[in-house]
Amino acid sequence: MGGPRRRMATTIAIIFLSLGLFFLLVAAIGMVRLPDVFARAHAVGLTDTMGAFFMLFGLAIYEGFSLNMLKILVVFSLLYLLNPVVTHATIRAALRAGVKPWMKGPS
Amino acid sequence: MTGRILLKTALFFLIWMALSGKFNFLHLTIGLGLSLGIAWLNTWPLTGDKMRVSWVGVLTYVPWLFSRILASSIHMVRLILDPKLPIDPQLFGHQTSLPHHAAVVLLGNSITLTPGTITVEVSPNELTVHSIDPASSNDLLSGTLEKKVATVFPSQPRMKA
Amino acid sequence: MREFFIFVLIQLVILIVVYLYRVVQGPTVYDRVLGLNGLSTKAIILLVVIGTIYDRVGMFVDISTGYALLNLVGSIAIAKYLEHGGAA
Repeated sequence: MGGPRRRMATTIAIIFLSLGLFFLLVAAIGMVRLPDVFARAHAVGLTDTMGAFFMLFGLAIYEGFSLNMLKILVVFSLLYLLNPVVTHATIRAALRAGVKPWMKGPS
Repeated sequence: MTGRILLKTALFFLIWMALSGKFNFLHLTIGLGLSLGIAWLNTWPLTGDKMRVSWVGVLTYVPWLFSRILASSIHMVRLILDPKLPIDPQLFGHQTSLPHHAAVVLLGNSITLTPGTITVEVSPNELTVHSIDPASSNDLLSGTLEKKVATVFPSQPRMKA
Repeated sequence: MREFFIFVLIQLVILIVVYLYRVVQGPTVYDRVLGLNGLSTKAIILLVVIGTIYDRVGMFVDISTGYALLNLVGSIAIAKYLEHGGAA
């Protein structure tokens, strides 16, 4: 192993992982800053889509073409299919239980 | 009917072999039994209406959705990192005329997957959507998203409410 | 590369602590559920990174698949329960 191809895969993996960490960091900031459940759910959605995409894709590229890459992609597609369902269920429960969404006041 | 079960069994068995990576007798027997069982379970009618999926539509829809997710993620990052936090949340209803339950589910999932908009309530004809600022819901209000979803399900309108 | 992965792990743990703040502090119970959901996504990524460090991704990815499915079932059960304000 080794060689320029391996080095390039490592570089791409580092770039993707850094981008993913950036999105995860922004989502965590949003989780603290945003005013209510409904707005925070948007921040969690950001984590689930972009953060997971960049991190898992970077790791898959680092693994190279193998069974492990396939497995990482399976986890990735599972996250993309299941996370919207969970977010929707939580938010619907909040609305049905009578939580009032935060609105911008008349300014 | 039997043909469909066999086709699904073959597909599941291929996935099993790819994911297990072991080719001895025990693993292959367990995999074959499980794929046959799952293929049989999948023939039970769950929704009651048939659907046709256009695979060309799926292959163009997924990259398009991904580009939208990327664009709205960047918009969302800009909103969160802004010191003034210029969000303007809204809750609005959106009428759909999509032909199929599965199409409405796909539309709702796509809305939730895009950062900035979340589906709150679903009924066959109306979705309640929470959006974090007016720019996020542009795609939905202009009808682009719905048109793209309609290309995935080319079947005739046959909605049973 | 190993150092970089360990740096990523430390970052992820710090982010998980931020989410734990939301889980403990959250004004409503829905904030807590939402925080747990975001936390579990990060735990899945954490498991895959740990697997990459130890060079045993195959096993750790299987664990994280199970974790993702369990999180789905658990969150939907909790959301269903909380739909009536926890009264039913």
